[in-house]
Amino acid sequence: MTTTSIGSSDRTTGLPGWYRPILIWRVLVALMMAAGLIGVLLRRGIVLDGPLRWSLAVTLLMFLGGSLVAVIDTVRQRHLGRVTAFFIDFLLAVVFSFIAFNRMGMFTGLDAVGEAFNGNVAWIGIVVLGWFISGFTERGGTVNESLRNIARYTMAAGVAVLLLAMGLLPGLIEFGRRLFVADVIPIAILAAAAVLAARTMWSDSAARMFSTTAAEGETMDGLLFVAPNMLGFLAFMAGPLFVSLFISFTEWDGLTDARFIGFQNYIDLFSDDLFLRSLRNIVVFGAVAIPLAVLPAMLLAHLLNSKLPGMKFFRAVYFLPSIAGVVGVTLIWKQLFNSTVGFINYGILKVTDLFNSVFGSGFAAGEPQWISDDSIALISVIILFVWQQIGFNTVLFLAGMQGINPTLYEAADIDGAGPWKKFQKITVPMLKPTTVFVVATTTILALQLFNEPFILQSPSPPSGPGNSTLTPVVYLYQNAFQEFQIGYASAVAWALFILIFGVTLLYFRRSGDDGVLSS
Amino acid sequence: MTTTAEPRTDSTRQARSDRRKHLLRMTVGRGGAYFILVAFAAAMLFPFVFMAATALKTPEDTFRYPPTVLPRTSSTAQLAGEDVELYSLETADGSTETLYLAEEGVAAGLFARLDDPAVTIAWPLERAFDTGSTTTVAGEEVPVFAVQFGDETAELALLRSTAVGRFKSLDDPDVEAFAIVRTATRAETVDPQWSNFSEIIELRDFDRSLTNTILVTILVVGGTLFTSIMGGYAFSRIRFKGRDQIFVAYIGSIMIPFVVLIIPLFRLMVSLGWVNTLGSLVWPFIFNAYGTFLMRQFFVSIPKELEEAAFIDGARRWKILWRIFVPLSWPAIATLATFMFLYAWNSFIWPLVSINGANSEDFVLTIALQTLGGQAGEGPNLIFAAIVLSVIIPFTVFVLAQRYFVENVATSGIK
Repeated sequence: MTTTSIGSSDRTTGLPGWYRPILIWRVLVALMMAAGLIGVLLRRGIVLDGPLRWSLAVTLLMFLGGSLVAVIDTVRQRHLGRVTAFFIDFLLAVVFSFIAFNRMGMFTGLDAVGEAFNGNVAWIGIVVLGWFISGFTERGGTVNESLRNIARYTMAAGVAVLLLAMGLLPGLIEFGRRLFVADVIPIAILAAAAVLAARTMWSDSAARMFSTTAAEGETMDGLLFVAPNMLGFLAFMAGPLFVSLFISFTEWDGLTDARFIGFQNYIDLFSDDLFLRSLRNIVVFGAVAIPLAVLPAMLLAHLLNSKLPGMKFFRAVYFLPSIAGVVGVTLIWKQLFNSTVGFINYGILKVTDLFNSVFGSGFAAGEPQWISDDSIALISVIILFVWQQIGFNTVLFLAGMQGINPTLYEAADIDGAGPWKKFQKITVPMLKPTTVFVVATTTILALQLFNEPFILQSPSPPSGPGNSTLTPVVYLYQNAFQEFQIGYASAVAWALFILIFGVTLLYFRRSGDDGVLSS
Repeated sequence: MTTTAEPRTDSTRQARSDRRKHLLRMTVGRGGAYFILVAFAAAMLFPFVFMAATALKTPEDTFRYPPTVLPRTSSTAQLAGEDVELYSLETADGSTETLYLAEEGVAAGLFARLDDPAVTIAWPLERAFDTGSTTTVAGEEVPVFAVQFGDETAELALLRSTAVGRFKSLDDPDVEAFAIVRTATRAETVDPQWSNFSEIIELRDFDRSLTNTILVTILVVGGTLFTSIMGGYAFSRIRFKGRDQIFVAYIGSIMIPFVVLIIPLFRLMVSLGWVNTLGSLVWPFIFNAYGTFLMRQFFVSIPKELEEAAFIDGARRWKILWRIFVPLSWPAIATLATFMFLYAWNSFIWPLVSINGANSEDFVLTIALQTLGGQAGEGPNLIFAAIVLSVIIPFTVFVLAQRYFVENVATSGIK
């Protein structure tokens, strides 16, 4: 897609056929932007609130400025004109197509696909069969071209049968029908025009006309390749992040207009007993759960690293809890925690009996109400979290240990160091970056604790008996989606974000810049 | 072969003893290591064993005390064309037999031992004979009976009258036992209830949730791979102004916790009209800084010569990326795919917010499970069958592609 030209000497004197329509389009786009800007400033058509209106105005202003540059430099045939024109057309194509497709229900049409998919899911079996055949060709080592082709055709046939069974043809007809729903047509036409214009500006012929150099062409390539990520990032991350910050300065129930109240939400946080309780809970949780999820993991990794037979099996077993989803796992533990018929209380009873019969003592095993007793509800969450996290941390530590230079151990062997000494003097210090990373990720996960208390306590409120399992995220959820205190909930979110960010910085400073970014 | 007997010096003896000590320490060390590893493995596996077993139980079986792992049901047998329930009881000769209830309401007495009245047994009066003497139990005068147990006879105090059941063997009518019917131990067999799975699928629309989850997962994995491969290629191979700054800013976004985005993303879904649709679970999640980072790191390691050769052939970037880079990057792609697979399959908090309607046709597995688990009236056996359905695919993928899961953890540590 790069287009190179040798320089201005190559410039064609005769203007290409697309020049005039493109120029008209350019002027039209500029006028559209100006009209949009005036409309937004006068609050015509769209009812928008404060900052959203201003940010839209700024965006439109930038587009207007870009359009003017594009018009001028198109006429003067400079590369800048091509770049701005191309990216404006590209963005317009994305935006208009998005609106058109959204009006047509293309993004939400998945549910219909799900319905059609449901009865025909078995056809995927053919695709899987083809995949296995192709895997077989690789394992055999011999490049068996015909078998590979059979695999390919099987997979393709599977996809084709699946699509046909799901109703591809009626679907396409439906797509065509929706295209002609009246209110989509103008937007669809605009989208098509923008696509056409962008394609034209991208073409070799445009590159020649605007004397694009190889480096300039490469920049266009680069920006185009990162465009999906950047647009997604702006729409679903950066944008929402700033919206969230703004909402946190307002009082808003999600229905009526938001009222700007400055830092009031943040000030209220400090005198909110429930929020402080949630912080206290999470600190207690972290102080117990993090060491329990990290230290045994280090020991297990050390044992797994000893090259004894069967280690791969143990590694796989330890990893299982992080494969199974949190919902299923928590529901399993909920049954184990059951105070009357659960295995945990039964185990406690058996251990107490054994202890009593060995030592002749008379301890009575209680029947702790793991989930509904406010003094131990958090402990059940800790047990579950640690159980889920330990294996994952073990694999992390194991990877770190395998990165330690074996000559260090050999040197220690010559010096006559025992296994404990080696662990203490070589493994632990060399493992410091991994340890910091494990502690940091575990801490960040712990600070965002939500799923476990939510599911364990369900159908009771996730805050647990006497708010004993109330975590900041649970509090956020309750405020935002049950109490409709959206502004306040956003303040909770940002307070938590600042906390997490602080913890992250602290850890990475201690590890000496050995974080994710530098690797 | 001749050997001169060397005098054993202290040093060789010392060395031998050292070696023996070392060997001992090694064995103990290994034994200890395996003990710890097995103990943890048991702790990790037990909940899953419990899950699989409970999924095959009857509802009553899940509430049994003491709890058992294997799914059991009461045994029955055919006798004269009718189903009879079977019991496991001790007969007169002391052996435990499987018996059926032949007669109810046999007149019996509750007998107590003379030396320890706390030990009692219910036994039919037809096997007991009044000796005429009496004894005092708890301040009351009660008659003493000679009670026959098989060939043996014991003198016991009759506390009060009661009724027992007469249990007989199906094979041998002479083998019989007596016990109070209500408390008699039922004979049980291990009997997995496979119908739990069909019930959860048919009655609870679980197939639809499974389909939805598969669909969402396929799209999230495919979409993320596409954007990450594009972005990773640009950040590693195309030179453009501001590239590195954009890269650092984009990678920095990994640090943004999702909880900050929940509220504004939900508002965005409301304004786009995507609430309660599967689309809301897919489109925002196919742009992934971590994936871009992973692909970029891998692309950087691919030798430049491969690309330059293709350039000379006049191939364009798009073609080079998909024809040269992607086939070479299979390990990184598989690693990213497994990561996104787990993420999409198991995500809970966002579907909880975004799929908040009562319409189970929009449900993904996590939401269907949570809804099922929160219904007080639902038997644990059905909930556990649903859990098995939700973990079976991740576990299968894990077994097939374990290497990439471990790789993913080792390279990133991001869950």
